[in-house]
Amino acid sequence: MSNDHSPEYYKKKFIPLIYLVGSILIVGTIITFAADKMGIAEKWGFINATIFAMSVAVVKASAVMYIFMHLKWDIKLKTISLTLGCTVIFFIGMMWLTVGSEIDSNKPGHEENTWNHVGQPEPETVPTER
Amino acid sequence: MEIPYYDKERPDTGLYNGKAGIWLFLASEVMLFGALFSAYVLLRVGAEPGTWSMGLMNQWVGAFNTLILIASSATIVMAWVCLKLNDWKGFRKWKWATVVFAFIFLIVKWSYEWPAKFTHYDVTFVTNESAAKVYTDVLGPEFLKTQPTIWQKRFDPLKKDEKNAPASQVKLKDKPLDGHIVGYIDSEGAKHEVGAAWGIPFWSHAFAWRHDRKNIEKERDKSIRYGEDGRPVYKEGHFRDTFRDKDIKAIIFVPAHGTWDHKEKHADSGTVKYAEANHDGGHAHSDGHGYTVTIAREDISRLSSYEPAHSTFFATYYTLTGLHALHVLGGILVMLYHLLPVSRRVYEKNPVQYTNRIEITGLFWHFVDLVWIFLFPILYLL
Repeated sequence: MSNDHSPEYYKKKFIPLIYLVGSILIVGTIITFAADKMGIAEKWGFINATIFAMSVAVVKASAVMYIFMHLKWDIKLKTISLTLGCTVIFFIGMMWLTVGSEIDSNKPGHEENTWNHVGQPEPETVPTER
Repeated sequence: MEIPYYDKERPDTGLYNGKAGIWLFLASEVMLFGALFSAYVLLRVGAEPGTWSMGLMNQWVGAFNTLILIASSATIVMAWVCLKLNDWKGFRKWKWATVVFAFIFLIVKWSYEWPAKFTHYDVTFVTNESAAKVYTDVLGPEFLKTQPTIWQKRFDPLKKDEKNAPASQVKLKDKPLDGHIVGYIDSEGAKHEVGAAWGIPFWSHAFAWRHDRKNIEKERDKSIRYGEDGRPVYKEGHFRDTFRDKDIKAIIFVPAHGTWDHKEKHADSGTVKYAEANHDGGHAHSDGHGYTVTIAREDISRLSSYEPAHSTFFATYYTLTGLHALHVLGGILVMLYHLLPVSRRVYEKNPVQYTNRIEITGLFWHFVDLVWIFLFPILYLL
């Protein structure tokens, strides 16, 4: 965050933002917790519950990074932008390598089909000699 | 020699050097935690249905710690703002608040959450018949009507194949009973009280009570030396079996309250005996133990606390939360350093340098908060 903000800016603009982000974090935590207690994994399914919980977590994390970590003011700076960009790309790549490579494997609640490659021809049988 | 400090933002990066450094460090931290997160996700989605034992987590404690970290994230920003406003007293107030919140987080983890797991055990059984005998004793003859739902919720909300399965198809021997060991019976029939922690630290409590038939079978092939007192002499790396060491014929077990959340409901219909056990994990019954069940050694296939060796889930749980706790501890040490008189002298000499230090510490602390924001739903809820 730049050093050229006036004391008035911190008092009137920045401190209210701190309260706002704090509220977002608390509400997000309560929403996730309450949703789990209501059994959304059983009602919506595991994938939808995961998407919901991760979406709330991303909103919370974005609020922290945007305000608490000053990206609102610093994101235009190429050092941080490039560093974050490379990190995110690397992370997504890593996740894809592990989770993506298991796309045909058994998922919780699904039928086990790790070695069931649909569409592949049946293995040839060797005729037995009489 | 004095190291010169440049508080001006560099024209090429737009940042002062310290801030550029901490962002690069945080990027490497993302790689570290990212690798662990992706490993966890891979293990989670690849686990056999019904084997992921995350339902054993205390979600209330996890939610409490999340709120504590959120509060600390807000207070450390307030501390930095106070420095920007040249308010030293306000800075110290908010900084101390951050340290206190951080300590609360660690205290909850180190004095309650982890120790409670190390003294909390799962018992699996040798045969379906031996399991049925214990479950009947614990829950009454109608236990099969309610148990599949409880096991399913405890181990994996997605395991549906057993939800509507007939009772005859439920493999009881693989369904663990969880609770606390409060005593044992030796070969002469004498009862021994062991208490909640057996008078030994929690981290060794788990290993003192290990029992696993598969490992015992493996060890049987190896020659075991016995000392003059008749006890086995363990070599380094030798599997330790408390049952053999202490000549235990049966354990006295108090079924736990945490994962059996339907007990009040079924207690109304008279099917749950152990509803008499109190709710705080202690043993307040007239005999001092609440409802207990005696489980014979020959009926036990595996006895394991919620230590890392319990399951893949707990192994990754301790790795992730342990690494995160180390970061919290590191943050506390740095923040305490900033509250020492030597730091006050830096502030008086160069306020901008000191304020930038606090900002950098704050960036690290927010990262620690960010990690927990994702750890909480992944480990405790999903």
